[in-house]
Amino acid sequence: MTKKNLNKRNFSDNTWKKLAPKSSRKPASTAAFKKRLVFISKFFALASILILVGLISWFLNHKSNVGPIDLTGPSMPVSGIEFQSDGSLNEKWFNNWFGPLRNRTLMDLDIAMIQEELMLEPQIIFARVSREFPSKLLVNITERKPILRLCLRSESKGEEIWLVSKEGNIYKGQCYGRSSLQHLPYLDLKASTLKFTSNKKGFEPLGDISLVAPLLEVAKKKFPSFYTDWQIVSYNRPNDNDPGAYIKIKSRKIKNLRFAPHSYEKQLKKLKYLFSEPKFYQSETIERIDLSHDRSVFAKII
Amino acid sequence: MSKIIGAVEIGTSKAKALIGEVTANSSVHVVGMATRLNDGMRKGEIVDFRKAAQAVHSALADAEKMSGTTVDEVYLAQTGSHLRGRMLRGSSSVSSSDNRVSASDLQRASEEAKRRQSEEDRTFVHHIRTPILLDGRVVQDPVGMIGSKVDLGYWSVDGDDQAIKQALHVISNYSLDVKDLIISSIASSTMMAGPDLRRAGTLVIDMGAGVTDFALYRQGFVAYTGVIPVGGDHLTGDLSMGLRILEPYAENLKIEHGKAFADPINDSDDVWIIGNKTIGDRSVPRKAITDIIHVRIVELFEIISKELEGLLDPDELKGGVLLTGGASKLPGIEQVASKVLGFTVRKANFPNGISNDLAQPENATVLGLLHYGLEDHSLPGKRNEEPESSFMGKFKKMVGLSSEL
Repeated sequence: MTKKNLNKRNFSDNTWKKLAPKSSRKPASTAAFKKRLVFISKFFALASILILVGLISWFLNHKSNVGPIDLTGPSMPVSGIEFQSDGSLNEKWFNNWFGPLRNRTLMDLDIAMIQEELMLEPQIIFARVSREFPSKLLVNITERKPILRLCLRSESKGEEIWLVSKEGNIYKGQCYGRSSLQHLPYLDLKASTLKFTSNKKGFEPLGDISLVAPLLEVAKKKFPSFYTDWQIVSYNRPNDNDPGAYIKIKSRKIKNLRFAPHSYEKQLKKLKYLFSEPKFYQSETIERIDLSHDRSVFAKII
Repeated sequence: MSKIIGAVEIGTSKAKALIGEVTANSSVHVVGMATRLNDGMRKGEIVDFRKAAQAVHSALADAEKMSGTTVDEVYLAQTGSHLRGRMLRGSSSVSSSDNRVSASDLQRASEEAKRRQSEEDRTFVHHIRTPILLDGRVVQDPVGMIGSKVDLGYWSVDGDDQAIKQALHVISNYSLDVKDLIISSIASSTMMAGPDLRRAGTLVIDMGAGVTDFALYRQGFVAYTGVIPVGGDHLTGDLSMGLRILEPYAENLKIEHGKAFADPINDSDDVWIIGNKTIGDRSVPRKAITDIIHVRIVELFEIISKELEGLLDPDELKGGVLLTGGASKLPGIEQVASKVLGFTVRKANFPNGISNDLAQPENATVLGLLHYGLEDHSLPGKRNEEPESSFMGKFKKMVGLSSEL
């Protein structure tokens, strides 16, 4: 160090304090190690207690505020229900199903739960429930469409009419008018095909109906004169790939009308063509017409 | 509210730690003290850091355990032949228009005195203030007095950087701060020579195991300090070599039969050394022991006398010479010292109020550390302000997070 630099140095820089180590990383003795260990243990114990106290106070402070924040303020009692459905269910049915409102406000109602319970009804595919402030409850329902009737007899309940949707679901129709169901053909199937649901209150869906439904829809839409005459529908292995599969229909005019489970419109056109022949349209009862073969039609006129 | 302070002396043969409780009326109660043998020192300097640290840390831990408390900072004694003292002087003109001396005038004089640099690789350990002169007259407190020039002096002791660092590191390694570094001679003389003796003028000689520290007082202020690298261990070494016996036997002979001067009545006796398996049981003439010790003691006081040549004025040394330290227990040593130095020499007595357990010559330095630390050494008109050490600062020191080393 030069003399000039020496003179510039502050006198306080030249005391022993500048030599004092600020910390010592490695303890040189057991006593120093023990002292450091005790201090660090105390520090972490204190820090842990502080963190614990902080967490407990935070929890206690937030416990009372758990749940959704009410931004709406107190709402009014429900004054009306706006019910919409694409099927037969109506507001009267809903009021019956839901029970009395008893001055309950919109915010008292758990609309998510109402929606969930509505969708458990076998006749309902989808339900949407919402609030319209200040006091209106909106209910929008999408229902299953019945395509067949199923008549079941039991010793305890006697004869019961069930409905079959195009998805194969079997349910007891509610709020249907007599006229809306009387044109539906009956489904004829073996009792063993039906399987109870786990709660024994209904039946498992019929998977094969999804292949039968298109025939009924095409017939109803494009060949109503045939469809209105159909009384009973049955099927045997209606699998598209099964050469022996067929759908059998009994109508007033034709006792046994067979379709292959595909190309329904083509087969119905053949049927229409047959009925342009005098032999067919003049005959009162036809014993059998089999449209299930590709190139030919088998028919037996009594 | 009481305050806990600590003091550590890293001696050549023993490390001592002392914990005191300072009460509201500024008296100290010693609440913990421990001594451990120290193998890490030679002639007052650390030669084995780990051994020295083990001894000091164990002594501190024992003292803390005994006191039932802990200390954060300690006063540390510094000795060793590397220490050198010199007088530094500074002056300042009185700055006020009415020529009244203010604290800032003293401060400027003090800064000028301390501005003097130590040599390369050396650092000031201790600045001990000497009398304040106002226009050439000695005054106790010039603040408020009328004058034109203030002169101030310090007896400044500097030491080797490495030796000081080693001592400081031993303390910091136990996660403690050093509150102040005090040279051993000042610590022991503060304890053993009261204000009256210091005003009368006295020489305090602290004879340790490895070194002998001494401090000369004139008119109540330090005039000179020094360290001679000769102590009680040299007597042991001389006996070992002169009588051809192992050091433990030599140490025993020194303690049990050693004397500083020849005693015609007993010197014809022989002393038997029993149990030495290498040379067998043998006898040693008591006169031989005394002669060996006498030669070394005479040499020691001659060195002190030579170093203080010109300063040992009988008119300025009415208090005489005081001996303290472990080696001063040697019978007859004050007579030899008196003969060599030419002054009245006596063994120093502790002031009243210190228990017999503590009032031993070898404890003079460590007790003096606390005594010196309690005194106010600041300039007149200025008080020492102690910064409080923060908890986080202490934690960082403990876990070694500080960047400086």
